[in-house]
Amino acid sequence: MTEQQPILKADDLSKRYEDGVLALDHLNLDVRPGQVYCLLGANGAGKTTAINLFLNFIPPTTGTCTINGIDVTKDPLEAKKYVSFVSENVMLYGNFTARQNLDFFARLGGKANLTKENYYHVMRRVSLQEKAFEQRVKTFSKGMRQKLGISIAVIKDAPAILLDEPTSGLDPKAAEEFLEILAELRNEGKAILMSTHDIFRAKEIGDRVGIMKEGRLVMERTREELQYEDLVKIYIDYMRSEPLTA
Amino acid sequence: MTGTIARKEIVSNLLSYKFFIVILLASLLIFTSFFVMFRDYKGRQADYQLIKPGVGEPMAVIPPNPLSIFAKGLEEAMTRSYEVSLIGISVRAGQQSGNIVFSFFPSPDFVYVVRVVLSLVALLFGFDQISREKEGGTLRLMLANPVSRASLMAGKWLGNFLSLAVPFLLVTALGIAIMSLDSGFRFGPAAFSRLLLLILISLVYLGLFLSLGMYVSALTRKAASSLVILLFLWSLLVFVIPNIGTLVARQMVDVPSVRALNEKRQQIWTREVLLSISGRQNRAAGFETINAELDRMEEDYRNRFDRLIRLSKNINRLSPTASFVYAATELAGTGIVEEGRLKRDIIRYKDSVFRDLQQGREQHEAFSYRYRGLGRVLADGGLFDIAWLVVFNILFYLLGYVAVVRYDVR
Repeated sequence: MTEQQPILKADDLSKRYEDGVLALDHLNLDVRPGQVYCLLGANGAGKTTAINLFLNFIPPTTGTCTINGIDVTKDPLEAKKYVSFVSENVMLYGNFTARQNLDFFARLGGKANLTKENYYHVMRRVSLQEKAFEQRVKTFSKGMRQKLGISIAVIKDAPAILLDEPTSGLDPKAAEEFLEILAELRNEGKAILMSTHDIFRAKEIGDRVGIMKEGRLVMERTREELQYEDLVKIYIDYMRSEPLTA
Repeated sequence: MTGTIARKEIVSNLLSYKFFIVILLASLLIFTSFFVMFRDYKGRQADYQLIKPGVGEPMAVIPPNPLSIFAKGLEEAMTRSYEVSLIGISVRAGQQSGNIVFSFFPSPDFVYVVRVVLSLVALLFGFDQISREKEGGTLRLMLANPVSRASLMAGKWLGNFLSLAVPFLLVTALGIAIMSLDSGFRFGPAAFSRLLLLILISLVYLGLFLSLGMYVSALTRKAASSLVILLFLWSLLVFVIPNIGTLVARQMVDVPSVRALNEKRQQIWTREVLLSISGRQNRAAGFETINAELDRMEEDYRNRFDRLIRLSKNINRLSPTASFVYAATELAGTGIVEEGRLKRDIIRYKDSVFRDLQQGREQHEAFSYRYRGLGRVLADGGLFDIAWLVVFNILFYLLGYVAVVRYDVR
């Protein structure tokens, strides 16, 4: 069987900010359809920078990143057709109902003319309570907002999904539900890149797990490899090790 | 995408209390303005019926201008009555506003409401457009989709402009419709087309404040910072610059005071009367000399005054508010150029009356004044001010666009 082409790919990707800080140092990674790639690391390790580069929020200093084979720097609007994004703290529009928020972002994602039932179906799928569908989002808990955030990603139906610390601040039950949805999306063939601090959930959901430190990807393991290794120990060892740029 | 974002902005505005409070306030002000100014206009119409000259009387007085309901400008100065005699032109109070409160506060005409209140409302619509999305995290979410920043800017501008313009137009139209039910409201097609143009340039004026709001919003990371900066800029553009121009121009052009002018006038009179009494000059020649000298003096004063006005106007145009006021008042026929033209017509009338008196005629031709046509108003600077407003609009929009393109969405 031929191996599928990566949907998300970073090639020698670096980012040095104007103040001289090297936030990302020659990152190479790829995520194929049906894979969840978890990026672990402390604050400032470069996880969010990598996601920002994939979304063309900032230009790379060197290297390229592609979505579905499209260079995001050269053709960002085309590349963004193939990616959905869920941020750490999905705030959305408080005065809008869940459905109105979903409708707006679906239209931005290129899905016009969806029916009310289409929106309800997606919100049911992410286990958002039925009574919340037509409620204003400003009354939502963080868990509910995260579910709505993932429903925005689901409705776009893009082949790649980027998640920036999506489970941070969620209670264990909500986080578990969130991972169940991610697993479903993976089974549908989505390529998922998720930055997280949560080692346990990274091990649970990740097909590949990378550890970042000071902008570098210092370790990468597959799900199979992690069956025989202690990810927590590896992570802590890397975090305790000498600074790379010392 | 622009349409989707514009639609979202409109719905978002319709769902917010801020929108309703602001629109309610603006509507109340427009209605109040129409009510107060229309009553004032009717009062001045009644005044005019009392003071208008009888047949053959050497007086110059024009009826109140119905467009002054919307842009009062120099209407009070223009509709004073000017009595012409051998000793020159004496100004009478004429049609003054019946409302004494107008002496303490600016006339609350439509132009004032748009210039001061609605410009602030437009800023309130724009001040948090980018920074609020940044604070709420929705900017990242939006731009993670195939949405260009040009579409983002255009959609936000369009949505907010429509949210502001539609209620503004509805309230204005309703106010005009209510006024038109009164028999005292006499508007011909020419006046009506000027009124439409006045409303149109009001929209251009409001659009530029919206663009300015969005520009500053895209320069800041927090809505609160952008509000403080915008309030400062608003007071600078609406109040400070339009007044500083006049002060600066006064330092650059030497114009004698009215008191000095009257003193000089008195001196000429005294000299000529003494010459006449001493028998060194006959009375008729004396009047001719006085008239010629006063004409020269007034011509010189008028020239200097015109220079001062031109310079003040040009300095004041650093603020779009000045251009808006000039364009609106000239369109309404209550502007500086129209007033200057009226004054020159009155001087010409005085000369004709003087000739009548010298020839012993008791009856004089009635004074009449024709306002400039719309084409002439535009050619005399109106078009320049409207174009200047459009330039400000484009400039602020482009600055906003550049700021949005450079905005750090992280």
